[in-house]
Amino acid sequence: MAGETSAPAVPQQDSRRERIAFAIGVAGWLVPGLGHALMKMWGRAVACFLTVGVLVILGAGMRGNVFNSSGNDAFDSLGYLADLGTGTFYVLARALERDGSDVSRAEGDYGTRFLATAGVLNLLAALHAYEVARGRKA
Amino acid sequence: MNVGPGFKLTHLQAMLLFALVISIAFGFLSRRKPIERVKYIVWSLFLFFLIGVGIGWAMYPFSR
Repeated sequence: MAGETSAPAVPQQDSRRERIAFAIGVAGWLVPGLGHALMKMWGRAVACFLTVGVLVILGAGMRGNVFNSSGNDAFDSLGYLADLGTGTFYVLARALERDGSDVSRAEGDYGTRFLATAGVLNLLAALHAYEVARGRKA
Repeated sequence: MNVGPGFKLTHLQAMLLFALVISIAFGFLSRRKPIERVKYIVWSLFLFFLIGVGIGWAMYPFSR
């Protein structure tokens, strides 16, 4: 009888853990490093925050292209998705780039890559935090 | 290359800075022990530099 009553608790616990892991993943996407910080992985949290932040500040400083939702082709849309990966730092990038992008020079092109990399890197970090919260990674 | 007030970068410096930041992120995400992280960061940075310069030289004949 004891086995019958305790059996449903395991899926319920798994479901709760899954929800918490999802929330941690979303938090990590919105604010770089927050997902790891919520799990008290301070080194990784600081590293994520600083690396994504540095890439965004440099990318915007180089006047890289911060894509928006009204892209003309697939590359613009993919760039927008990559830039959105930085979460709230996307707003920071737009705020920093008051004069708009200038990809007619090499530094503007570099800046575009820096911004896109910051987004993809943050998505990778958020996914890592999600997997750790699920217990799949150490 | 001018990044903000008084901050100038050459192509090589931009590539190295990019490589350093990415290597640090990868090192912290993929390794737990500090010594392993340092080893990973140094090795990753070295490979970024080697492959970047290698690709640069490979493109050199087509630049003129």
